[in-house]
Amino acid sequence: MELRLWFLLPAGLLVLVAAAWLVLRRHRRNDGTAAPVAHADRLTSLPSYQAALRRYRRWLGVVLASGLVLALCLLVLASRPVLQGTGRDQRVNRDIVLCLDVSGSMTSTDALLVEVFRSLAEQFRGERIGLTIFDSSAVQVFPLTDDYDFVTDQLDQAKAALDGDSGGYSFFDGTYNGRGSSLIGDGLASCVSSFPRLGTEERPRSIILATDNKLAGRPIFELPEAADLAARNSIRVYGINPNDFDAGTPRGQPGEEMRAAMRETGGDYFALNSRNAVTGIVARVQATEAAKLPGPERTQFSDRPELLLWVALAALACMVLGLRRIRS
Amino acid sequence: MATLLQKVKSRMFLFAHRKARGVLNGEYTSVFRGRSLDFDDLRGYIPGDEVRDIDWKASARFGSPLVKRYVAVRKQTVLLVADTGRNMAARALGGEPKRDILVLALGLMGYLALKHGDDVALVYGDSRGFHRIPGHGTEGHLESLLQAVNSATTLDAGASDLSAQLEYVARNYRRRMLLFIVTDEVALTDELEQRIRRLTAQHELLWLTVRDAELVGAGFPGSAVYDVADLVGVPALLARDPEVAREYHDAEQERTAAMEEFLTRHGIALARLGSSDDIMAGLFGLLERHRRAKR
Repeated sequence: MELRLWFLLPAGLLVLVAAAWLVLRRHRRNDGTAAPVAHADRLTSLPSYQAALRRYRRWLGVVLASGLVLALCLLVLASRPVLQGTGRDQRVNRDIVLCLDVSGSMTSTDALLVEVFRSLAEQFRGERIGLTIFDSSAVQVFPLTDDYDFVTDQLDQAKAALDGDSGGYSFFDGTYNGRGSSLIGDGLASCVSSFPRLGTEERPRSIILATDNKLAGRPIFELPEAADLAARNSIRVYGINPNDFDAGTPRGQPGEEMRAAMRETGGDYFALNSRNAVTGIVARVQATEAAKLPGPERTQFSDRPELLLWVALAALACMVLGLRRIRS
Repeated sequence: MATLLQKVKSRMFLFAHRKARGVLNGEYTSVFRGRSLDFDDLRGYIPGDEVRDIDWKASARFGSPLVKRYVAVRKQTVLLVADTGRNMAARALGGEPKRDILVLALGLMGYLALKHGDDVALVYGDSRGFHRIPGHGTEGHLESLLQAVNSATTLDAGASDLSAQLEYVARNYRRRMLLFIVTDEVALTDELEQRIRRLTAQHELLWLTVRDAELVGAGFPGSAVYDVADLVGVPALLARDPEVAREYHDAEQERTAAMEEFLTRHGIALARLGSSDDIMAGLFGLLERHRRAKR
């Protein structure tokens, strides 16, 4: 707990002391309006007067004490008590693009991923999420957005299409325009270019790439080239491969190639062995992001007036009560 | 220059009309004139004169009441005993300083005495010491007495100490005289009782009490008060407490009753004054009571 305008405190205390001194001085000095009387001891020695005087002093004490507490509370409040913390708000300004290979072998994994992100989207606060699908060519289903209602809606539609139980073949329209299929490098490059204001705006960016890296055709970007592009733009790519059937020497195998590319961007590679592991993988991706992306460390101040306000209110109540008791 | 005596006189003239003033004169005469067997002359009856002084035969001849006047045995001295402690500089019941009432009462009594050819002497002072001014029968002398009292009675004066003052009077005045004691609402103590008793054996006493300001209820003077004894303030808020007020009034009544009872028992007339407006009536009542008490 710190005070932002701490200099108000000594200044206010000074004013308080000066005021008290003035009042006391005025009280001490007989200003001539007080009337001289004789035999006041005949009044002051009465037992009932003594009792009343004790009551009076007690309530006067209450009034003075609560007045002091009130004044101090207000002073401290005026100097703005704040909680100072160093915040890393990487979560709230993160951009995530789901980059899904929608070739036939991948749809069920895609469906799982979409489902996981649909539930995640309900907890997002400020993160932006986008969806791009690709096969031989890439299509942006929806750009990065924080309109979560829209995101949920779109992910629902995507899931239905990926599950194949909607007549929405149109969902995949535009993904077969290239030559070949599963042009992964091109898809990833498209995903990279779907981030707005690359290089001008500092935001943690990541891509979740679901593919089995089974290339069929001649892409414009090879996967390492696309990963390079991502790395240059500080975009981490997390790869999820449901069909990691690498055998023998790892070198040159699709899984290993993908792993190397992902690692190059600062991301990670996950081979999906069981369908239920998707949730866990996404959680790990989130955790890795959180760890890797401390974000700019910033000093944050949050005002904490509540407690003091309550104390001040209580003091005020005591004061009013005391004053009423004294005047009655 | 408006002297204190002029104030006293103007007060007398303000008091109703001549007839009423005459009543006061008559009262004083019947109270204080020494009565010898040497007949002096007759004069018209003034209400307040002793009925037994009426010369019935002469009145019958003359057609209106006449009273006999005798040659005074001797010139009397009226001794004004003024408490001039700082208590008397405090407020009276009516709101003015008690000193004003004190000076007015002394002046009035002194003036009456002068009119009847008596001397007026003064004893005044406080616990720091008492002073006396011997008797003399002139207005200038009375004026100087009043000035002495007026200037002695300040908030810086010593505390009032009536029993010491009465002791001083008893020690310094052997000759029988008329004592006019003006003080505030003193409490009766054994010591004071004893002193008063001793004085009554030797002198004639008239007692005027100047009433103190009320410290409770509606009579509370102004917003703040302080005691002249120790200059300690008395919180006005407490004075509004009905319980305190009741107890205060009870105690005051008890004190007053005790004083009245004691003085009456010793044949001393007592008047209580709260304001200078009541001074004529108060003094008249005092003389009247004294005359009755003497018989």
